[in-house]
Parts: sequence; structure tokens; C-alpha cells
Amino acid sequence: MKRTLALLLAVLMVVSVFAGCSNKSNTETTAAATAATEATAAADNATYTYKDSVPLLAANWNPHTYQTNDDAYLQTLIQVGFYTFIFNDELNPVEDTEGNVKAPFTGYKFVPEMAASEPVDVTEQVKKDHPEFGIPESATAGYAYTIDLNPNACWEDGTPITADDYVESMKRLLDPEMLNYRASDYYAQSMCIANAESYAKGGTTTYEANADAIADLTKGEDGQYVDTNGKKVYVALGVGCEQLGGEVLKDYVDNYGDQYFDVSKYETLTANENADGVVPLTDETLDALTTLVTGNEAWGETDGSTLPMYLVYAEEWAEVPFENVGLYKSGDYQITMALSKSLAGFNLLYSLTSNWLVKTDLYDECLNKDQKTSTYDTSVETTCSYGPYKLVSFQSGKALRLEKNENWYGWNDGKHVYVDPTDGNTYPMYQTTAIDCQQIEEASTNKMMFLKGELMGYGLTADDFATYRNSEFCHRIPKETLFFLILNGNKSVLDEREAAADFDDTTKDLQTMTLTSFRKAVAVTYDKELFASTISPARSGGYGIIGNTYIYNPETGDTYRSSEQAKQVLCDFYSVDTSKYANLDEAVASITGYDPEAAKELFTEAFNEALEKGYITDKDGDGVSDQVVTIEYCMSADNDFLTKTIDYLNEKMNEVTKGTPFDGKVQFVKSAPYGNDWTNKIKSGLSDTVLAGWTGSKMNPFSLSDLYVNPVYQYDAGWFDATTVDLTLTIDGKELTMNLRQWSDALNGSTVTVNGTDYNFGEGIAEVETRLTILAGIEGKVLQTYDYLPMLQDSSMALLSQQVYYVTEDYNPVMEYGGLPYTRYNYNDAEWAAYIAEQGGQLTY
Amino acid sequence: MLKYSLQRIVYMVIVFMIITCMCFVLIRMLPPAQLPAGDPHTIVIEARREAAGYNKPYMVQFGIFLKDIVTDFNWGVSDKLFFGQDVVKLFSQRMPATVIVNLYSVLFSIPLGIAFGIFAALKKNTWVDYTISTLTMVVISVPNFVYAFIIQYVFSYKLGWLPFLMKSGTDWFSPAMFVSMIPAIMSLGFGTVAAFTRTTRAELTEVLTSEFMLLARTKGLTKAQATVRHALRNCFVVVVPAIIGEFVSILGGSLIIEKIFSIPGVGRLTIDAINAQDYPIFMLTTCFYTAIGLVANLVVDISYGFIDPRIRMGSKK
Repeated sequence: MKRTLALLLAVLMVVSVFAGCSNKSNTETTAAATAATEATAAADNATYTYKDSVPLLAANWNPHTYQTNDDAYLQTLIQVGFYTFIFNDELNPVEDTEGNVKAPFTGYKFVPEMAASEPVDVTEQVKKDHPEFGIPESATAGYAYTIDLNPNACWEDGTPITADDYVESMKRLLDPEMLNYRASDYYAQSMCIANAESYAKGGTTTYEANADAIADLTKGEDGQYVDTNGKKVYVALGVGCEQLGGEVLKDYVDNYGDQYFDVSKYETLTANENADGVVPLTDETLDALTTLVTGNEAWGETDGSTLPMYLVYAEEWAEVPFENVGLYKSGDYQITMALSKSLAGFNLLYSLTSNWLVKTDLYDECLNKDQKTSTYDTSVETTCSYGPYKLVSFQSGKALRLEKNENWYGWNDGKHVYVDPTDGNTYPMYQTTAIDCQQIEEASTNKMMFLKGELMGYGLTADDFATYRNSEFCHRIPKETLFFLILNGNKSVLDEREAAADFDDTTKDLQTMTLTSFRKAVAVTYDKELFASTISPARSGGYGIIGNTYIYNPETGDTYRSSEQAKQVLCDFYSVDTSKYANLDEAVASITGYDPEAAKELFTEAFNEALEKGYITDKDGDGVSDQVVTIEYCMSADNDFLTKTIDYLNEKMNEVTKGTPFDGKVQFVKSAPYGNDWTNKIKSGLSDTVLAGWTGSKMNPFSLSDLYVNPVYQYDAGWFDATTVDLTLTIDGKELTMNLRQWSDALNGSTVTVNGTDYNFGEGIAEVETRLTILAGIEGKVLQTYDYLPMLQDSSMALLSQQVYYVTEDYNPVMEYGGLPYTRYNYNDAEWAAYIAEQGGQLTY
Repeated sequence: MLKYSLQRIVYMVIVFMIITCMCFVLIRMLPPAQLPAGDPHTIVIEARREAAGYNKPYMVQFGIFLKDIVTDFNWGVSDKLFFGQDVVKLFSQRMPATVIVNLYSVLFSIPLGIAFGIFAALKKNTWVDYTISTLTMVVISVPNFVYAFIIQYVFSYKLGWLPFLMKSGTDWFSPAMFVSMIPAIMSLGFGTVAAFTRTTRAELTEVLTSEFMLLARTKGLTKAQATVRHALRNCFVVVVPAIIGEFVSILGGSLIIEKIFSIPGVGRLTIDAINAQDYPIFMLTTCFYTAIGLVANLVVDISYGFIDPRIRMGSKK
């Protein structure tokens, strides 16, 4: 009996300990949330809860420190930018380039949110009154703006948001002690606030990539070289350098040693390395660097032309008071911003769609003991909303709930409304009254919950496409990336790989893949649409090196791929006779990129060429290669997708090579899993192919040209030098010839001198049509290298719950389908529950 | 016994320190998560690593790490996943969910496992024994996440009797929370039930055929009396340490089950920290799992001496 009693007491103790552990404040918060929900429900007699799921719940939505897209989930709901995009409609008409009003929901426009009106250019005034901001004397516009703030904006507790909040928030964002992750967004990207970088880096020394040629460097009195700006130059031994794409030379030398480098003078460099990991550039260290990089042919830089890219210069940042930072209060509800480089028009407004605002009293309370980190915006208690919703409950790694922020100005300002194109009625944005978001990692759980009506959306997996791709509730979401197969063309490295002791050159061959005829044959071996539908049905075939969603004209939303120049370059590359089609659109639509007959001819041509060069043999004279051209597919990690991809590549290759001298003699094989090292393997030619692509810069396709001509980014930098390939284009009626690197630099705002004439085709300097011509020209030349074989246009597909619908069915690259502001409900929560019950608890899509 | 226990504790601390040191040094040797070339945030990341002491010698860093823990129980702040948040606080927020789910699982599965084991032993070589033994083998052979998917599909999706996921909130002992935990408890419990069934059956079968059991029966005890008073006590010499080990190891949680049922526990925290390369969290969870493993072994070893007075570990005689 005693034992039983003791056991019972022990159990009670355990239970009470856990009961004590339960978070009282969270319980109270949940109770408050429930009360708020009931109040909202009572007000309009219905609740509309958006039930969402994410694979990883936000953990830190502090605008100064957040790092991941998962963290950004909350930001559009509880924080608001100065300006935002909305769809065009009857209330907000938008004209196209010809002055015609666009159909509703086919475009977008900027409207002020936390700002009260558009920014006013005050460059002249600020230049005169504030010389400390360093606005260039020649500048007359684009360097300083006043922004009137929305006087109705306030925090969720009703405290008004004034100019002081913005200035104090910026002070905390740039705090040199805090080293905030997002600080550089305001000095290293398009919007650079004057002296922001100096304030944030005050008292430190940083090392920046050298931009001068070796011959332009001069020796100082102490024997150390300085650049043309008088800054001391160093060898980037233990810090990232431009030539290695930000990676560290020392790591390469330590890993590969004399396999790729001449290390005879390496000790001179290591002996002079300072605590920052750089080596002062003197005659002695320059000689050591030259020997290291150019002394071994395997590294492929024997001519020394890349030496400047291993150098950095020292930037010593003096301490600057915050008063010198180009952001100040110019009225209770007005701020003035001074910039260190000009910014205007669309790009200025686009930069201001985000916000750095924090509630400073709460922020200061959340500082940790080290005064360098903060817990601001990591829980309900440390969050203060100023957007349409407020956080009412949050359980880390589990779930969060947002409800309407009754103090948001947008509920009553009459501006957050739109005209529904289907019924012509005017509706308020944000019909959703609450958002419940849970962390769910398993796709199968997501799917089952969606089919039971417990989630609003479900992203289709490859297994679902056959069932749901034609559903009326299925939506395609195009993405930026265009995936291409990179094909190894690094002849010298391939020669070395074949020379290795363990390589059996009687049965295998690598060199043939460098032949243009072979590369062309591979390019036309695959039906891109079939490839997409087989291995990744949400995606479609890809034909260029720039994807379908890149917008070249932000004002109209027109995409690069829809331009005449972009269409023509595809027709030229795929040899489409445009005269046979009514227009370019039809001609482009006819492109499949698949031509098995041409492939067979090209494989035969490649065979003859390879035989002649001695890459392969045909000892028995049967007209078939003795060797298998073995193409290693570079894997970061093995998975089902890669298995399917490689199986498909081999299957179709075998079909096309049938009856040719390469019948069964071209094979894709998996590499070892290289992890993050896969890019190095491809760039160095140690692995042969991979399906890869670039993303980002959705509004600036012109910047993508740099990825294909700048060795810092190029996958094919080891065997393709863009400075040796000339491109002649007709600009303003005159023919102009430059190399690809020069065209790209000029296209992206650098001044390039050719035959004594300066050229700059940057944004705002050259006509957009000219810029399109240049970009298309570069794209065409890069395609002709056959280093990149376009395969897939990225996109995804998702099912949308029957409870809601999008106001528009047409996808817009900027607005997408409208997001939460434009999501409308077919059923409120109570009706939805009844509907699901009526359907037997399970829905059909 | 006392000397033996103290000796084991000292060894345990040494092993713990060695593992911690190894993990710490290896973690500090890893480069930061790679950012795209030219990313302006790179310099901030480098500066933060410098400020956090990543560029000091490894043993100096380890010394600072130990000093902070001993003097302030400071395990640092998360530098990626939960940027700026105290990792001990994060960890302690996740612990209740893990413990409660596993505690329920053990409380449900051990009595069932022992009962099935006894039943099978008493019905040895009958169809009942064969059925239980076969099912035990099948259940043990299948990993618990397979049950998780089956349970979720049948009970949550098809029948609609149970929720898909564990309920959010911290009302750990509310009826709604308990109901939401049932799928996870069942998934975790099947394997434990089978393991205890097999162990109990094997031990009890052996004990029931011992000579002392024959003696007990000849003394006039009924079969039930002999089984309860003598056979069960003897077979528990093996079963009870397993129960103790199970109770201690429940703190470790189940990484996969937590993921499937969205249980905000330490298992998921560990996986998320590894995926996000959040090293301070990873260090704390690694030390925790190491400690749990070592303590479980120690407790089980020492418990033998208490359960069976004939076992005296460390004794010279």
C-alpha cells in the first residue's frame, strides 16, 4: 500500500512539475487572441481564417537581422514598406507604352504606404546645406529625397510613428557594435545612404577587390605597392579573392599543393601574412605570387593576366558620427535621405518597398547582455506590428497566429480597395481575418490535411502531377531560373584526367566532349518539353540562357523573352526560318530544340573529327568508336531526381546515337557526392556536366550577362575567355565591335573605351531597345559556345483550396496572383466546416 | 559499490569532456555557410565570426566556452536559426514537448509489453505464443516512422478520429493536447511494446523452467503464486534495468517522429540546427545527447546492484 501511495505521489509530482512549466504568458496571449477573434467575428459576423503551412517556421523577423526567406514570412504581414505594388484596376488605371489603358489586373502600380506621397528630389538643396554627405558637385538630381510620412501610421499599441522612429531605427541598424546582417542592404546595394558604410564600419579595416592592372600599381616608400587611388595593396592569401569567386587562395594551395601550383616560393607569402590574412604586396611577394599562380600549367593561368584578381586593397574606415549619415528628420512626419550614388524612378521606389523601422524602446529592452545581439521580433512579447496583421501567438518551431491589427491605417483610409473584374464590385483588400500557420515538413501530411480542408494550399510533388495538373484549382507559378546542362570544355584538364594512371583510355574517352560538333549533337539530342514532363512536370522546356520571367521594363512589366530581340536570337540559334511563320511568336513557338536527324549527322561528324585528332580509336574498323565518351554528372548529393535525370539522358542518348559511330558509346555517369564543392568541380573541369542555373535580379535581366562573361561567376571560366570573343552589333545605325566582356560591362553601367571612344549602355543612359539588342547579342554568342545547353524553365504548381479564389487567374511576375491582399473567400470558416462535412470530410480536386 | 559508482561517474565526466572537446573543435573548424560570390553580407558574417572568437586558437576558444558554461551557464546565443536568442532558453522551451510525448509512450507501452511477454511465456508453444512472437518480430523489424505514416493515414485521414499533428500551445495536460499526441505515442510505442514483450517472454520462459520453480510448486504454491512471487521477480533482473534505460533515454526524443507529427521538441531543434548550420544550438544539443547516453548507461549498470543483491559490481570478492 505504501509503495502504491509513493508511486502515486511521484506521478503527481511529475505532473505538477510539467503543469508548472507551461507558459502562462502564452496561455494568456492565446486567451487574448481568442477574445480578439470573437470581437472580430462579432463585428462582421464571420471569420475568414487563412490556414497555412511552412516547412520551417520563422524564428527571427527583425528587419535588421533576419537572414532567411523563412524569416521573411511575417514581414509582409506585420511590417509595411514606404511604397507597395498593387494591381491596376478601374480605381488605379495604368497605361501601356502606347498610352492605352491596360485591362484590369494585367499590370501593377506603385502606391504610397508608410509614405504619404512620392519622394521629392531635393538634391540641389541638400548638396548646398549638407556638404558632409559628399554629393558630387555635378549632381543635380537623384542624390537626395524628402519623403513625407504617412501621419496615420502607428504601432499596434496605437503609438504614432514619426520621423524620429525612422532615424533612430536607422541608427540602430547601422550600429558598428551590432554588426547587423541587414545593414549592408543600405550601403552595398542599389540604395546607398551617404556615409552609412563609413558609420557601420567605423574604426575597422576592410579589404576590397583590386581593380587596377599590375602595371598601374606604384611602389610606396616602404616598398609596398599602392593602387591608383593611393590605397595599399595586398595579396589576398587568407581572405576571399575575386579570381576564386570569393574563396580563399590559401585553402586551394593547402588542399592541392604542387598538383596545381608552383609552391617553391609559397613560404615567402605565408611568412609575410598578417593577422588579417593578407600579405603586403612588395617585389618579393609579387614574385612569390607570380610563381605560385603561373608556375604550374595545371592551374591554367600561365600568362599571368589574372594576377590582379588575387590582390586586394585596404580600406581604412575612420569613425564617423551618426549625424553624418545621410538620413535625418526634416519634419515631424518627414525624413530626408541623401545617397552616395544616384537612384531614381522605379528603382528608387522599388528599393523603398522594404522598411528598416523598429520600435526603439522595445528594441532597446530586447538587447542581450553583450549589447551586440537582440531578441527583438522573435516572440509575441518582443514584436510590435505596424502592418495589417499583428502576431497574437507564437510557438517556436510549431505554429503562429496573426489577427487583424485594428490600429492599422489601411482599414479606414479608403485606399486599400479594388474592383473585382468578375463582378465589377468594389471590395476591401485583406478579407482574411486571421492567419494560422503551422510548421509541417512532410509533403504527405500537407497533402492529406489539404484534402481534408485543413490547409489553403498544397504544392504538388512529382507524384501528384498526373492526378492534379488539369484541376481547375491548380495554378502554375513560373520562376526565374533557367536550368542548363553545363558541358565540360576544359581540354587541358581533360587531357590530364586521361593521362592519370587509373584511366583506361582503351575503353573510355573524355576529350571528344570538347569538340563543337559533339556538343552541338548533344544539344539537339533532347526534346526539352519531353525532358521536363518526364523528370519534373511542373517545369517546362528551356531554350535560352535567360528565363521567361525577367522583366526588362518595370514600368510596363514587359519581359525580356517577350521582346523582339530575344525572340530573334532564339530563332537564329535554333535555325528557324522565320519567313515561314506569320510572326516571331509563331516562329519561337515552333522551337523544340530537338532534332534527332541532325544529331545523328553531328555525331558522325564528331566521330571523324575525334578519330583524326586521336581522341578515340576504331581498331576493328567497324565504324564504331572503341571508347565510350564518359560524361560525369556532378552531384552535390544523390537523390531520386538525379537518378531520373541521368537515366533519361542516357536513354535518349542511346536512342539518338543508334546507328551512328557512337552507338551506345556516350554515357552519363554519376559522380561521387561533392556537396558544396560541386561548383568548384565544374569550374575546374574535374567533373563534366550538371543541371544548373542562375536566379535573382528579377527586374534586371541585363545584369545576368555578367554571369556568363565574368570569370568570377562563369562556370566555364576555365576554358572560355569572354575577352577573346568579339561581337559586332549595329547601334544607332553604326556597326560597333567589342568583346563580350566589354559589351557586358558597358551594358551594366561601366564606361568602356574602344578605339578612343567611350561607350556606356547602362540603365538611363542608353535606350532600352539598344540594351535589349546588346543583351540578345551576348545571349546568342554564349549559346554558340555550347557550354550551356538550355533544358528547363523553372516553375512550380500548387492547388488552391476551394474555400478561396484568386481575383485574377493570370500570373503576373511581380504581383503573382495577388497574394493575401487579393485573396477572396467562397466560404467563411463556419460555412467551410459545414461544406467539408457535407462532402464526407474529404474534398476532391 | 560506492567506489565503483564514483569511479564510473569520474569516467563518465572524462568521456563527456573528450566528446564535447572533439565536437567543439570540429564545429569550429567548419567554414561558415557559404554565401554567393560578391554577397555584401559576407563581410558582416566574417566580422561576427571574428567578434565571436572564431579566429582564436581552438583550445583557447574551448577554454572560453567552458568558462562561460561553468561560471554563467552561458551556452551562447543562436547565430543563424534563432539569431540572438539564448540557446539554453530555446532548448528548455523544446524539452517539455519531447519529454511528455515520450513519457506517455513509455507509460503506455511498457505495461503492455510486459503483459504480452508474460502471457506468451505462460502459453509457451501454443498458438497464442506463436502469434505474439511472430507479431513481435514483425513490429520490431519495422521502423517507427512507418507506423507514423500508417497511423496518420488511417486514423487521421481516412477515419478522421485523430488530428494529423500535435496541438500547438503549452497546455501539456489538457485532454485536447493528449488526444493530439495519441498518433505520436502509438508510433513510438509499438516498438517498445514489442521489445519488452520479447525480453519478458524470453526471461520468464527460462525462469519458469528453473529447478527452483519446481521446488516452489512442490512446496505447495499454485502456479500463479509461484509465477508472481518467484518467476517474475527473477526475470525482472533483466527487464527493470531496461525500463530505467528507456525512461532516461526518452529525454533524447525521436527525431523523425517529432518531424512527422510537428512536435516542437529537441529532436527537431537539433535537425533544424544542423540544416541551418547553427553551431551554438548544435553544441548544446550534442552535449545533451552525449550526457543522456552516458547517464543512461551508468544508471542501468548501477541499477543491477540494487535490483539483484547478488550482483556486486566492482567488488574484489
